[in-house]
Amino acid sequence: MELMDKLEILADAAKYDAACTSSGLDRAGRPGTTGNTTFAGCCHTFSADGRCVSLLKVLMTNVCAYDCAYCVNRRSNDVPRAAFTPRELCELTMGFYRRNYIEGLFLSSAVLLDPDYTTERMVEALRLLREEYRFGGYIHAKAIPGADPQLVERLGLLADRLSVNIELPSETSLSRLAPDKHKAGILRPMGQIAQRTAQSRRELAVYRHAPAFAPAGQSTQMIIGATPETDLHILRLTEGLYRKYSLKRVFFSAYLPVVPDPRLPAVTAKPPLLREHRLYQADWLLRFYQFSAAEILNEEEPNFDPYLDPKCNWALRHPEFFPVEVNTATKAQLLRVPGIGPKSVQRILIARRQQHLGMDELKRIGVVLKRARYFITCNGKAPVRGTRAEVAAALLDPNAFGVGMRQLSLDDFLPTALPGAAPLVHQLADSGMDAREAARIARQEALTCLTKRL
Amino acid sequence: MSYQAAVKDVSYCYDGSFQGFLCCVFESFSQKEIPAAVLPPAEGQTSLFPQRDIPTRPDLARRVAAGLERLGPSVRERVTTGFLADEPGKELTLLRFARLCFERGPSAARMLGDADVSAAFALERAVNNEGCKYIEFLRFEQRGTMLGTIIHPRHNVLPLLRGHFCSRLPDEDFMIFDATHGVALLRRSGKVCYMQMKQYTPAPDPAEEDWQALWKRFFHALTIEERRNTACQQNHVPKRYWQDMCEMQPDQGT
Ligand code: SF4
Repeated sequence: MELMDKLEILADAAKYDAACTSSGLDRAGRPGTTGNTTFAGCCHTFSADGRCVSLLKVLMTNVCAYDCAYCVNRRSNDVPRAAFTPRELCELTMGFYRRNYIEGLFLSSAVLLDPDYTTERMVEALRLLREEYRFGGYIHAKAIPGADPQLVERLGLLADRLSVNIELPSETSLSRLAPDKHKAGILRPMGQIAQRTAQSRRELAVYRHAPAFAPAGQSTQMIIGATPETDLHILRLTEGLYRKYSLKRVFFSAYLPVVPDPRLPAVTAKPPLLREHRLYQADWLLRFYQFSAAEILNEEEPNFDPYLDPKCNWALRHPEFFPVEVNTATKAQLLRVPGIGPKSVQRILIARRQQHLGMDELKRIGVVLKRARYFITCNGKAPVRGTRAEVAAALLDPNAFGVGMRQLSLDDFLPTALPGAAPLVHQLADSGMDAREAARIARQEALTCLTKRL
Repeated sequence: MSYQAAVKDVSYCYDGSFQGFLCCVFESFSQKEIPAAVLPPAEGQTSLFPQRDIPTRPDLARRVAAGLERLGPSVRERVTTGFLADEPGKELTLLRFARLCFERGPSAARMLGDADVSAAFALERAVNNEGCKYIEFLRFEQRGTMLGTIIHPRHNVLPLLRGHFCSRLPDEDFMIFDATHGVALLRRSGKVCYMQMKQYTPAPDPAEEDWQALWKRFFHALTIEERRNTACQQNHVPKRYWQDMCEMQPDQGT
């Protein structure tokens, strides 16, 4: 098989993995090697679905001994199969890296024979890349659940980041859809990685040349929308994972039906992209805004509002918290204002040491006031007094009503609901309504609803 | 903001170099005035005000540079990075910013609510943003004995690319040609220099087509059709960068 065809098959098979970041580690390039890493990571391009491409994301092989219902590579699926040799993988990585196409390699694999054999092959490829090709760029490797801890150890000494996919949000779902996988098999390597990374960090602090174990930490991913868990359940799980395994990131991947299966949503179902988006927003609130899962969702409201981002939603439930005075509020208070992010907060904190901040100053600092202005005061004065309908209009998340143009031929454009639009917009558009009209109706409905709530 | 100097109806004309600009700052101090415009040679004709030629004197430039140095990294960076902007009027903005910092001390750089400070900050940010974009989006090709690329940036971003690519490719020779400004950053045998250039030769090696074809295949294989969202793609990669990215070019019909 030609290298070109292999690359296509093995990239296509890996594309559902959400993680493609190269962040979390600063390492300068050294003479005799190729490559460095930067803490913030680097996106080298964006694919037509709007996702960042940072790493050469491929599977070692898509030949799989397992039969997970949600996965294109499962044993019983009829797809072309391929496998890279370690050398092919190294040549590709180096060639792409030198040309500044990528920041490094993201190596995952289907289960070839068994987890140990698969991991051995991955270790061999990475060893070759690091030792013979002297590659100093970013490597993210996937640990295969059930692999021998010693192999995971070797993998961690070669890779910058490791990840073990938690796959599904609950054990019940896992045993129903992925009969070959077990919760313990997933959590054990996670625990091992967390413990080894922490240990290696301590050693590095004492002794500069101690071997680094997954210095950029670990991440995980779960599929959402394939199984019935609520958003609250998922968010609590996420929070727990961050605490217990000190994960750097938890990724969510909207389930995309691939084959008919009575245990799964129908093949015609659309991937729940808006829900995925809300989960990421909530994830940001956990990581950067000092929110807890219990503040974002609760038993009475266990799922996200499709039309409001979780932060706006929290603000609406807590009118007693506002308005916040920008000139005196604490960092934590500022972070809770809808429309103000950590960067703006930083700028406000710095600028207000020099001068009193009014609306003009805030604008100059680059704070976006579209939403924030309804929740703040500047020197005791509210910047605007909006009617309830105006406030509601500013708060609705435009993503939920996204409509794009699809070009059918050179002079024929058809408005279509964007993949991330709210379910109602899709429903109306699917039933034959013009997508723009569908979005307008959905927006009107959401607006009325929200105005009443205010 | 009030200065201990009045705005005067005079245009400074300087030679367009950074040193020359520093001499303009010096002039503004010694004359206790803020000029109405500071013009590089190309814009010299367009001024409404009487013009004064400011000769470039390395000794004066060095004094101002040392002064900026004393004001700390955030002031210095804003002036040096902001000066890389390719934008009419940047000199006056930066001169007013520098004067403010000399009068108020380094903390003036944080007065983002002030018009001059925020204008200088905007310049710095525009240049830095574009520099970051090219660090991500430029594509090397094997051209003869070294890697090379042609880019079309709005601002003079080459100095921002230098450190990153030297660290990324420690043992590699490479050249980045800024076709907008006719300048190239050349790194050979561990040494870096800038050169004026009209065009880049040699052309890419024939094998580059294969690499680009591989990369494009990979790039297209990654896309999840059900999630297609080209508006989002364009948000992240504005169209003006596409000309310098091989994967964004339509496939050549064969
Ligand atoms: S083990 Fe991995 S590759 Fe194999 S079917 Fe399950 S999810 Fe897919």
